[in-house]
Amino acid sequence: MAIDPATPDTTGSGAIRTAGGDRPVAAEPGGPPAAGIGPYRLARRRLLRNKVALAFGALFAVIVILCFCAPLYADHVAHTGPNDNHVTEQVQVGGETKDVVSPTGLPIGPTWHGRFLLGADQNGRDLAVRLLYGGRNSLEVGFIATAITMVLATIVGLTAGYFRGVVDGVLARILDLIWAYPVVLLGIALGTSLALGGITIGPIAMKGNSLFVPAVIIGIVYIPYVAKPIRGQVLGLREKEFVDAARVQGAGSLRIMAREILPNVASTLIVFLPLMVANAILLEAGLSYLGAGIQPPNPSWGTMISDGIRLIPSAIHLTFVPGAMLVLAVLGINVFGDGVRDALDPRARVRIAAKREDEIGESEMEVMVEH
Amino acid sequence: MRMWARTACAMLVAFAVSVGVAACGGNDNGSTSTTTSAGGASAGGRQGGTATVLMGTAPDYLDPQLAYTTQAVEAHWISYTGLLTYRHEEGKPGTELIPGLADALPRISRDGRTYEFTLRRGIRYSDGRPVRASDFPYSVERMVKIPWGGRSFVTNYVVGADAFDRGSARSISGITADDATGRITIRLREAYGAFPNVLAFPALAFVPRGTPIRNLSSDPPPGVGAYMLTDVVPNRTFTLRRNPAFAGFRIPDIPTGNLDSIRVNIVSNTNSEAQQVLNNQADVFDPGDTLPPALLPQIESQARSRFERKPVPSTFYFFLNTTKAPFDNEKARIAVNMAIDRDALSRIASGFLQTDCFFIPRGIVGHPDSACPYGDRPDLEGAQRMLREAGLVGAPVTVWGQERSPRKEYVDYYTDLLNRIGFRATERIISDTVYFPTIGNARTDPQTGFADWLQDFPNPSDFYLLMDGRSIQPTNNQNFSKVNDPHIQRELMRLNRVPATELDSVASDWQALDEYTARRAYVAVYGAEAVPKFFSDKLSFDSVFHPLYFNDWSTLSLK
Repeated sequence: MAIDPATPDTTGSGAIRTAGGDRPVAAEPGGPPAAGIGPYRLARRRLLRNKVALAFGALFAVIVILCFCAPLYADHVAHTGPNDNHVTEQVQVGGETKDVVSPTGLPIGPTWHGRFLLGADQNGRDLAVRLLYGGRNSLEVGFIATAITMVLATIVGLTAGYFRGVVDGVLARILDLIWAYPVVLLGIALGTSLALGGITIGPIAMKGNSLFVPAVIIGIVYIPYVAKPIRGQVLGLREKEFVDAARVQGAGSLRIMAREILPNVASTLIVFLPLMVANAILLEAGLSYLGAGIQPPNPSWGTMISDGIRLIPSAIHLTFVPGAMLVLAVLGINVFGDGVRDALDPRARVRIAAKREDEIGESEMEVMVEH
Repeated sequence: MRMWARTACAMLVAFAVSVGVAACGGNDNGSTSTTTSAGGASAGGRQGGTATVLMGTAPDYLDPQLAYTTQAVEAHWISYTGLLTYRHEEGKPGTELIPGLADALPRISRDGRTYEFTLRRGIRYSDGRPVRASDFPYSVERMVKIPWGGRSFVTNYVVGADAFDRGSARSISGITADDATGRITIRLREAYGAFPNVLAFPALAFVPRGTPIRNLSSDPPPGVGAYMLTDVVPNRTFTLRRNPAFAGFRIPDIPTGNLDSIRVNIVSNTNSEAQQVLNNQADVFDPGDTLPPALLPQIESQARSRFERKPVPSTFYFFLNTTKAPFDNEKARIAVNMAIDRDALSRIASGFLQTDCFFIPRGIVGHPDSACPYGDRPDLEGAQRMLREAGLVGAPVTVWGQERSPRKEYVDYYTDLLNRIGFRATERIISDTVYFPTIGNARTDPQTGFADWLQDFPNPSDFYLLMDGRSIQPTNNQNFSKVNDPHIQRELMRLNRVPATELDSVASDWQALDEYTARRAYVAVYGAEAVPKFFSDKLSFDSVFHPLYFNDWSTLSLK
C-alpha cells in the first residue's frame, strides 16, 4: 500500500512509512522494524467498535439477502411469479373464500399465509413476491449505478487532477455541465427518452426495458458528485514528494496514477461507496415512481409505490410496504456509510464530536492521521 | 450516535412527507367563484360564475383541426361550430343533427353525392372577424394538410380531397363556396350515408381563411361558439371564456352558456382528481378518466346525489398488427382471443367495463347478438396449443400502453397473458399525451397494444373507420391493426352508402360483417366502458350529459 512518505505514523509505533510500500522502517537507526497497524486495519477496528453502524449494516445485509432470495420465495412459498396476474382467482383465508380482486377492483389485503402474505395489487399480483423482486431490481440498479459512478468518476477525477491544463479544463467543464442539471430532471429526461429507444454504444445495445438503462442513467448523473472531490484531492497529491520521487525513478503517468495516487484516494472512494449506493437506490425509486426508471411490468419499490397510489384510501399497504422497505434499506446503508466514514476519516468525527473522542482516549492519535 | 439518529429522523420525516405528497398528487387548486353577468340562458341555469374541470389526461391538441380525443372535443364542440352540429340533449335526442352555421340541414341530391348549404348571415368569429362561406373549404383543406387523424372521412369521399392530400391538387375541387350568396356545395365521389355526421366533427368547424396551417394548440385560432379558448399552458391548464357575441347570433338549439368561464386543469393522477371533486375543491371530474376503486364506496355514499355511471357506446380492445409478426399469422390472433379473460379486465376497471367481444358496441346498429366466436370463457390451454401448432412459442412481442390507470393495468394483464400462452412479451408504457400519435406513426409500427374508440357519431361506419384499409396512413393512423381485408372493404363500400336514416334496414348486414371481423380476430375486443358523471356540490347536476361529447359544458351552471 503506497502512502504519502510524509504521512505520520498512525500506529503509535513511531514507524515512518516509505513511498511505494507499507512496511514500517525502524524507529531507531539499526534497530528492528516496529510492528505497526495499517490504516485500514485501524479503520476496521474503529468500525467494529461502532455497534450502531454495524447493526444498520446488518439490517441492510438482511434486506439484500432477502431480496436476492426472491426466486426461492416465489417458487417455494408463494408459488407465483412477480408479474403473474390472478385477478379472477380466489384464496382461502381463515376457512373463508375471498376474491383476490373484488368485482369493484379492490385487491385482497394481507393473508399472513404463504400466498398473498402481504396481499395483492390491483392486478392480483402477490405483493410480497413483487416486494422482494422489486427490491432485487432496485438494489441491482443501485449497485450497478454505483459501480459505474465510482469507476468513471475515479478515472475522470484522476485524469483531470493529474494532467491539469487542457485535459482538466475539458473534463471539469463536462462535469460542470452534468452538475448544472438537477439530478432528477436529468434522470427523467434521459430515462423517458431511453426507455423508448434503449441505448446503443458501438457493439453494446440495451433495450429500453433493460435494468441497465436506469442503472447507466443514474451512474452517469452522479459522476460529478464523486469525480470533483477526487480531482481536488489528486491536484494536491500530485505535488507531493513521493510522486516526484516516482517520476524521477522513471515511472510513467499511468503507473504513477495507479500505484502512487490511487491508493491515497482509496479511502475517499470507500467513504463515497455506501453513500452513492443509497443515493442511487433513492434516485431509482424516484425515477421509477415517475415512470422513467424500471419499466413495467417489472417491479421496483418506486413503481410499486406509484401503482399503489390510487388505492391509498383503502389499501395503504400497497404504498406503505414498499415505502418502508425503501426507507429501511436506505437508512441501513446510510448509517453504515456514516460509520465507515467515521472509521476512515476520523478528522470529520473529531470536528463533529471532539469531546467524545477525548473521552475514548484516542483523539490524539486520530487527529494526527492523514490518508 | 447523534449522527445516525439525525439521519434516521430526517429519512423518516422525508418518507412521511413523500407518502403525503404522493397521496395528494398534483396540486391543482381548483376553486369556484361566483360573479354575475348578462347573457343568454342555457337550460334555465343560473348565470355567471366560474367552474374548474379536472382532467387526468391532457387533450391531444387544442387546435380544433388536429384534436381527436374526448378531452379535446369536450372543449371544441362548444367553441368551434361547423355547418352542422348535434342537439344539446341526453340520450338518443342528443345524436340528432341540427344546423350549426348552416341556415338549415343540407339539401342532398337524389344520388346522395351532392350536399348544398347556405351560411347563416351576420355570424362573426370570436375575434370579431366576419365568417365567410369561403372559410369552409379553407378549414377543410387546413384539416387535411395539418393532418387530422380522421381526415380519411373526408379524403375517402369528397371529390378532389384525396388529390389535395397527396399534393397533386392545390385545393379540394369537390368543395365550392360563394361568399356573396353564402352558398357552399360539397360533391362526393360516392354516396356516404354518415357524411352529415362527418360535417358535425369540430375538426370541420370554421376557422378564418389564412389561419396558419400548423399546430396552434398553444394559441388556438378563433372560432364560432358559446365559448372561446384562452390562457393555454400546454399540458397544464386552459380556460374557456364565454364568447359575448355568440348570444347575438340567435342560433336555435345551441346553448349560449351559463358560466362566465371554465378553467380546465390537468392533474397528475385520478386519485387527486376525484378527491378534489369529492371535497368541492374542483367542480367536474373528467368522464374520460376512471374513478379510483378505493374512493368508489366513499363517493357512492357521500356524493350519491352528484355521481352517476353513464354507459357510452365504445370499444376497448387490444390491436393486433396484421402486417407484422407474429400477428400476421391468424392463429396468433385467434390464440389471443381465446385466452383473454374479460371478467379480469372488468375487475381491473372497477366494474366500469361491460364485457363484449364484438367491435360494434351495444347501442349501435349492427351489434351482433350471437355468441363470441372463441367462447365467453378464457381457454388458456387451447391458446397455448394453437400457438404451438403455429410454431410461434417464444415469439417476441412488445405491448404498447398508456400510463393512465386502469389502461396501464390492462396492459400489465395483457402482457402477462401473452407470456402465459407462450409469447415472450415485454411492455412499453408511454405518456398518455403522446400515446396515440406514437402508435399511429408508421415509424413506430407497433405489434400490439391498448386501443379504444368512443363513438364520434351513432353509426357503425364510425367504428369501421378503424378496419378500413383506406384509413391506414403514415401519421395519426387509427387503423392500428392495419386491417386491409377485401371482404371488409367490399362490404364497407356498400354499407357506407346507406343514409343514416335507413340504417335499420342494413342492421343484419352490419352484424354479419362484425361477426366476420370477430372470427378473423383482427383485434381482441374486451368491452365497452361506462363513464362517471361526477360534480362538486357547487354545480347543478341537471346539466346535459351528451352521448357523444359527455359533459356539455355549455349547460353547466352553479346552484
